[in-house]
Amino acid sequence: MSAVSKLLPTDAARPGQHTWLHSIVRWFFIAVSLTFLAAVLLAPLATVFAMAFAKGVEAYARAFADPDTAAAIRLTLITAAVVVPVNTVFGLAASWAIAKFEFRGKSVLVTLIDLPLAISPVISGMLFVLLFGLHGWFGVWLQEHDLSIIFALPGIMLATMFVTFPYVARELIPLMQQVGNDEEEAAITLGAGGWLTFFRVTLPKVRWGLVYGMVLCNARAMGEFGAVSVVSGHIRGLTNTMPLHIEILYNEYNFVAAFAVASLLTLLAVLTLGVKTLVERTGYRGH
Amino acid sequence: MSITLDQVTKHYGGVPVVNDVSLDIGDGEFFVLLGPSGSGKSTLLRAIAGLTGVDHGRIALHGRDVTHVGARKRGVGLVFQNYALFRHMTVADNIEFALRVRHVRGKVRRQRRQELLRLVALEGMDQRLPAQLSGGQQQRVAVARALAHKPEVLLLDEPFGALDAKIREELRRTIREVQRELGITTVLVTHDQDEAFAMADRIGIMNLGRLLEVGAPHDLYSRPATRFVATFLGAANLLLARRTTDGIQVAGTTIAAGDRTPAVYEHEVVAVVRPEEVEIAPARAALASNYLAGGVVDEVVFTGALEKLRVRLDEAAQTPLLAHSGADGESVELLQVTRTQHEQRGFSVAPGQSVAVGVRRVHVLPTPLSSFTACAATPQLAQELSREPLLMELAARMKTRIGTRCEPKLGVADAEGEASADFVGTTVIASQTDCAHRAEWLLRRGARDLLVLPAGAAAPQRVLIHWMGEAARSATLAVSASVLRHVPAEAVYVGIFPGQGNGGRDAPGIRELLDARSEAQAAHGLEMRTELRFGEVAEELARRLAEAPAQMLIVGVTDLARFAERFRNLLDGGQWPVLIVHRDAP
Amino acid sequence: MSLRAPSVLPGFGLTFGFTTFFLSAMVLLPLAAMVLAAGSMHWSDFVHVVFSARALGSYKLSFGASFLAASINVVFGFIIAWTLVRYEFPGRKLIDALIDMPFALPTAVSGIALTTVFAQSGWIGRYLEPLGIKVAYTWLGVTLALTLISMPFAVRAVQPALLEVQRDLEDAAETLGAGRFYVFRRIILPTVLPALLTGFTLSFARAVGEYGSVIFIAGNLPMKTEITPLLIVIHLEQFDYQGAAALGLVMLVMSFTVLFAINLLQAWGRRRHLLGANS
Repeated sequence: MSAVSKLLPTDAARPGQHTWLHSIVRWFFIAVSLTFLAAVLLAPLATVFAMAFAKGVEAYARAFADPDTAAAIRLTLITAAVVVPVNTVFGLAASWAIAKFEFRGKSVLVTLIDLPLAISPVISGMLFVLLFGLHGWFGVWLQEHDLSIIFALPGIMLATMFVTFPYVARELIPLMQQVGNDEEEAAITLGAGGWLTFFRVTLPKVRWGLVYGMVLCNARAMGEFGAVSVVSGHIRGLTNTMPLHIEILYNEYNFVAAFAVASLLTLLAVLTLGVKTLVERTGYRGH
Repeated sequence: MSITLDQVTKHYGGVPVVNDVSLDIGDGEFFVLLGPSGSGKSTLLRAIAGLTGVDHGRIALHGRDVTHVGARKRGVGLVFQNYALFRHMTVADNIEFALRVRHVRGKVRRQRRQELLRLVALEGMDQRLPAQLSGGQQQRVAVARALAHKPEVLLLDEPFGALDAKIREELRRTIREVQRELGITTVLVTHDQDEAFAMADRIGIMNLGRLLEVGAPHDLYSRPATRFVATFLGAANLLLARRTTDGIQVAGTTIAAGDRTPAVYEHEVVAVVRPEEVEIAPARAALASNYLAGGVVDEVVFTGALEKLRVRLDEAAQTPLLAHSGADGESVELLQVTRTQHEQRGFSVAPGQSVAVGVRRVHVLPTPLSSFTACAATPQLAQELSREPLLMELAARMKTRIGTRCEPKLGVADAEGEASADFVGTTVIASQTDCAHRAEWLLRRGARDLLVLPAGAAAPQRVLIHWMGEAARSATLAVSASVLRHVPAEAVYVGIFPGQGNGGRDAPGIRELLDARSEAQAAHGLEMRTELRFGEVAEELARRLAEAPAQMLIVGVTDLARFAERFRNLLDGGQWPVLIVHRDAP
Repeated sequence: MSLRAPSVLPGFGLTFGFTTFFLSAMVLLPLAAMVLAAGSMHWSDFVHVVFSARALGSYKLSFGASFLAASINVVFGFIIAWTLVRYEFPGRKLIDALIDMPFALPTAVSGIALTTVFAQSGWIGRYLEPLGIKVAYTWLGVTLALTLISMPFAVRAVQPALLEVQRDLEDAAETLGAGRFYVFRRIILPTVLPALLTGFTLSFARAVGEYGSVIFIAGNLPMKTEITPLLIVIHLEQFDYQGAAALGLVMLVMSFTVLFAINLLQAWGRRRHLLGANS
């Protein structure tokens, strides 16, 4: 983008152009963009905090004293703590296999990785209900062994994992393809083993992409609503994640508490974008 | 005149990329702008096309001033390096684009398209998409597209850059043929001297934003006026020589001066010897040309038609060869020689062999600045001075050397006695408290060009020019032109008249300024601005120099009376470099 | 032919095996469950669920609003991308970073925030109310929510394409006498058209499946403001797994059909426009 902005002075200095017309068009475009973004993006963002602090800082703080809220936050953190590492390992394995090797059926694999992004989160959650729910494939077996997946923590984790596993892989695959195999091949010919090559040659090259992939995966995992909503059963204090808890509070007209919890997730999103900007500044280009 | 450029200047972020370029290109002429990358040639072409505005100067096409006319209405055809074909349009749509914009009727458009496709030898390709054509064919379409609206001027921006050698050759021929057939004025930008030689009626050579020389290919090659052109157009050996009353003296051997009139006084010059003008033989007696020196063959490279040698001249010959940069940027002092198959058969050589070196033809550059000599009271100070960054940069850009000399009496107040030797080239002294006296001491003992250099001086962005006494005028202009060819700075002539300005006295002053400008332009190809000031000369110059950083002064003097006193303000401890050009009044 | 081309790099077995296992367990098995659940229904039951008036109403809303949202995003996405790529103005970098906000923001948060802003008493809703425009709890609100959450996809698809429109092409057109608007219509627009289509596709795909942000602003009246994903949830809550699976299958088939059609259109366009990139 910097290359383009360097062109701007040239453009403005061209002879025979109606500079006033240019600036009208320019300001029109900027105004339309900013108005649109302000209406659909900035106003809602500002509302979150305005509503959260509508009754003062004390009311805001009190919202978090509620044990159900605390439980929801704990559940969300536990889920993310399990889902993100698993998805990271999957993303690394998948990107190594796909970016470093040529094999038959590669495009099938890539399509399968993209699939969760293409289908509705509600359907994603439903898939696990159909497998592990009361009338599902394993429902009877699970009941016999007194195990519960749906309406319990494992179901929430599985649904979250399903919805978020593409993110790390999708960041890493193009990046690994782009940096090529030359350095890895050089390391192998110099006598390095597979793990050494991976940790000392490959990982340093893709580390910023990996960081962003993980941060994005984490943000989506903590914020997932549709899929988790289907499998959780909405049991207060037990299977309510933060987004589900927001829904309950909102529907009970407890707006301050709902937006207080929402403000935490909004901060997480801002943080995620911050990391993205930083990562892009290191020279790594995301999609 | 088809294209007229008058003092065209374009800055990017304060740096002039096109610096005071004036040029006339005739009707139907094929003009090639040649220069290294970053020399400003493409910017100049874009300025002619109207895609870039200029900060200063005027552009006229066929007598119509188009400086403020947009690219749409200039009526030029421009061909880009990477074709810039519209990829979603067929060849036919691409070629007809300019006609469609002008609402030309379909029948006429088709007719014109057929005509153009025939001209570039692409008949029947109408419905192809650019992607279905080879690079050479795409560029042919681009040429046809640029000609569709019958532009008065065809501009080509490195049109062969993206093509391989064979196709390049073929397309060169096509474009030359098209140009001859249509008689259209054409400007081609390139960094490839072969291309320039093959296509141009005239070549203009650019470097650092300046148009250095303009001329027919053969003239530029055989009689370059500047070091840059001599070395950029083909290979060249640069030698320091002395112009004497008898001719050109190189390393003790005098060579006939050629067509030039003998010099009135003996001085150092820079001579150009093309590698093909060097002769080598087993012994001096076997040379058919003027003997230069003995040497040892350092390297022999066979390149097919020609053999390329590098010969190390004997130390004893006081090698006059100026270092040139080798491929790895390291400076080498080897003489380049090329020999034909015929010559090889007559006398074959191997590395390590001793040979006698002769020169068939020498061309002396008219440049007044040959070499630099750092001069100080002790050898150590002279050494230090010779390592000043600005001096080293100047010498590197001028492809010349920096010598040192020690004058123990320099700086001793009212010291009598003579200098230790004759002064050769430009003498350099450090700027310090009493340097007006030192300058006078040196000038009185024969130093002709004297550079007073402050420690750590920055490369100048503006060079102020002034002379006192008409005798110094042409020498000052020549020196200024030479300096400005090697630094990307703007030239300003400062005219100074005694007393306050008044209506009656202004008129002759201004005429003098204009005369100076036109002489600089005509005789030295130097474009300069002019400024008018009133007051005492040295005082005004010092004031002007103090106004802005990164300025340099070139001042011509004839009269040395009370020199130190008059120039104290200007020279003693000044923060600006001053180049003094001293010529005696006849 | 062997499974893979030879390579000196190790780790294929391990990574390929793990990837395949993970995908089989996480994706293929559940998908099979859905297809079988829907397939085990009686044909008449299937038709009854899938073509009920309520289901048809939800399709109309889900696909119609998504189509509208994707169209809005193509227009505004182009304007925003153009502004970000071509103009320098204070805050440009910040805006550029903010574009991804809907992508990083949990959908439930977007949902309650949008509802609050566009409700009758909200910051924007109160000015629309006197004009007779109701956003919250109508199909307009659904469209708005879908527009918001799918906006980054359109902008990010168009941005690189605009960056790559060669300035040379515009310069060439100008020297040939074309005006700015003509250049835009005949040179720039055709060049970024494939990217605009991609942006539309991605926006549409994201919007059709969206649930979290919509249910708050939609009002969820059957036949009127009920989207298909919500209908699936309702079936699941009634433990009608087969009905839910049937609706899910219909949704998948319909979105894949739309995406496939657009991909075909794009491939056709690419053949016309982008071949030049290869030579």
